[in-house]
Amino acid sequence: MPAVTEVSRETPAPRHADGATPPGEDWIAQLTSSGPVREDALRRLHALLLRGARFQVSRMSAMRAVVGAAQVEDIITLAADEAMVAVLSKLATFEGRSRFTTWAYKFAVLQAAVELRRQAWSRREVPLEAAPPLIERRPSPDQYVEGAELAAAVRAAIDRVLTPHQRRIALALIVDEVPIDVLAERLGTNRNALYKTLHDARSRLRAHLSLQGYLTPSTRSPGETR
Amino acid sequence: MTAADRQLPPGALQLLTTDPGPWLSCDDCFRLVDRYVAVLLSDSSGSTDAELAAMPAHLSGCLACAEEATTLLLLAATDQGLDPADALQRLTAR
Repeated sequence: MPAVTEVSRETPAPRHADGATPPGEDWIAQLTSSGPVREDALRRLHALLLRGARFQVSRMSAMRAVVGAAQVEDIITLAADEAMVAVLSKLATFEGRSRFTTWAYKFAVLQAAVELRRQAWSRREVPLEAAPPLIERRPSPDQYVEGAELAAAVRAAIDRVLTPHQRRIALALIVDEVPIDVLAERLGTNRNALYKTLHDARSRLRAHLSLQGYLTPSTRSPGETR
Repeated sequence: MTAADRQLPPGALQLLTTDPGPWLSCDDCFRLVDRYVAVLLSDSSGSTDAELAAMPAHLSGCLACAEEATTLLLLAATDQGLDPADALQRLTAR
């Protein structure tokens, strides 16, 4: 498995026998045909999805190390298989506004990333209960660069301005760096809902810090969500 | 975990204080990300695709979506024989 954040050239994107990558319409036609043409297209699609899943996993070195090589291979294979099902079930939604291969890759990338995050955190506790206040310490050199005064104001605002739910989610995602998929699974919710909570928390923090003169107010109206 | 552990890690301050931008769900980000990557790699910096306008802010605030979008961009760039450096810089630039 490649250990660098560069796409392996050893397993190039699947190509036709004549060396050309088929355009999107060819992929769709071949995948919806029958017989050997479809079988060949399915084989090439699965190879493409394996490549996408493997590359995603190769970029997540810290989590890969936690999980172990054998399990990583299982994750890659499972991700490609599940992405294959997703791609084939959504062929009708492909609009041709990107290359077919780019469109297909995203399913494998998502499956691989989510599963590796889940496996890497499977034995880790997610700290969610009664989060203690953020403490103020003597600023580190980085904090001096960023602005120790602003850092202190942000810590105070997290404790005072956010709702308990917003605070719990923001601390888990940003301070404890729990992956959003993992947090969603533990809380029985989904990625959209958690990101919305974080988005609203950031808006609230920013509004508060702007009122206090720490930040320049946004040009969007308060509460605007789209 | 003790209170002493709960300091803001590097990068957290910027994430918490940057304008989160217009709302875009992770599902919509997934729906749009291949189009966004295609635009970035085609150097269409003046793209008028309004649906993509919220992508940079979302990718700046959602670490998981950003990680996956970066992978997709690198895969697509390699397949097309393109240098991804400029597109990577613009992935989350606002």
